[in-house]
Amino acid sequence: MLWKLLVAGLSALGPVIVYAQSPESLAWLRKIQGATQKLSYTGTFVYQNGGRNETSRITRFVEPAGDTERLEVLDGVPREIVRTRDTVRCYPPGSRLVKVDRRTERGFPALLPEQISALARNYDISLGETRRLAGYDCQAVVLTPRDNLRYGYRLYADVKTGMLLRAVTVDSAGQQIEEFVFTQLTIGGVTRDMVKPRHASGHWRVEDAGAAPAKLAGWGLSSELPGFHKIVELKRRLGESRSAGQVVYSDGLAAVSVFIESLEGRSDPVRTGLASVGAIHIYTREVANHMVTVVGEAPAASVQRIANAVEYRRPAAATGEKK
Amino acid sequence: MKDRLSALMDGELDDRSAADVLQTLASDREAVETWRTYQLISDAMRQGTQLSEGFTARVSARLAQEPTVLAPRRMQRESRRWVALSAAASLAAVALVGWLAFAPQPQLIQPGQPVAQAPVADPKPNIVPLPTQANDYLLAHQGFSPRNSLQGMAPYVRTVSEQTVQPRK
Repeated sequence: MLWKLLVAGLSALGPVIVYAQSPESLAWLRKIQGATQKLSYTGTFVYQNGGRNETSRITRFVEPAGDTERLEVLDGVPREIVRTRDTVRCYPPGSRLVKVDRRTERGFPALLPEQISALARNYDISLGETRRLAGYDCQAVVLTPRDNLRYGYRLYADVKTGMLLRAVTVDSAGQQIEEFVFTQLTIGGVTRDMVKPRHASGHWRVEDAGAAPAKLAGWGLSSELPGFHKIVELKRRLGESRSAGQVVYSDGLAAVSVFIESLEGRSDPVRTGLASVGAIHIYTREVANHMVTVVGEAPAASVQRIANAVEYRRPAAATGEKK
Repeated sequence: MKDRLSALMDGELDDRSAADVLQTLASDREAVETWRTYQLISDAMRQGTQLSEGFTARVSARLAQEPTVLAPRRMQRESRRWVALSAAASLAAVALVGWLAFAPQPQLIQPGQPVAQAPVADPKPNIVPLPTQANDYLLAHQGFSPRNSLQGMAPYVRTVSEQTVQPRK
């Protein structure tokens, strides 16, 4: 209580805002992050959104050269994704196709320790209940958003190792909109064979996204969403041949991607509007003869706001071209 | 018109009627005022216990320097039955807002925390089915989620979700 008054007093003095977070809760987030990096494990988890449930197996194998992770959906049509240090290979159902997404720069973006502290700008981070899950005693870490532009999260991690056993996404009304929960988990004892893709991909068609950092000239946001900053800007392919620009904004935990595709040569009309799947919202609109698709793990209003802020300004140098 | 605004807030209008009312809102100042009042009442009634410190002052300041833009929130999840209030009941509710706003606030929220975010001025979106290539977008997006650092690749399960694969029409 006293520290709150102190913080109140300090903030009253100047514009610098101090978000005091209990060191324990931040330490817990770091512990979860460390476990995600270091542990080899295999387990079964249930993904739930709305009325849907889907069971999957996830296996992670860590070795000095890097780590490999394999995700296999156990319900319905078999689907599999394998991630190595810098590549994701996705085997969609019944397509005899491998979708490949590579990272050329420096592996996949990681949440750095200093970014964990920075999360406190957008979320109040505290410790919640303790609960036993799949045989592990877990500590809940609660991230409550400081505004209604983002979702809240409840993360349950094994007290001993920090391994995340349950992650719940909640909206501003406190309602659960998405959940990942392990029903069985074995830490350690993983072999390299267990993360090899089951699908024989020798004869399968390969669809490489060819993602590469790029500057999307002329494209930007008229105003950024509070707390969200641009983290990457690139060019890539979507599906077989559509080339697209992608700009990603993040508040440190949630991310929103803006995809920009030219409408030139496209025959079917764009269906503009909002769609959703679990905690992800997808908002599509047209800007300057381009289709803008905004995809993000954020409330509908936030995704829509970013979409509506997307604008194209003809770059000063390249006049006459384009359109 | 008030009845229809009320019905719109309740999510009781079909797309066509909703579009008509929204059209009216675009041109009719009085309707907009009524809509704002309803929203304000709704917010205050639902968030009465969450009003932050200094809320009253901030609201007064905001009101003083119009325009305060209040727009519809998502309707599916939260039922707003109460809005079917008559004009008289609305007045009573306005009184309640006043009372809530001036009542001492029990909850002390940390300083610097944004006030109940000035709601977005964007119009209510058109709800559409998932794009046929939703999984391509989801896969391209997921690689950049900082959440992967806390959870490994479990969230990738969204990128091969059957619900986004099946309805290829």
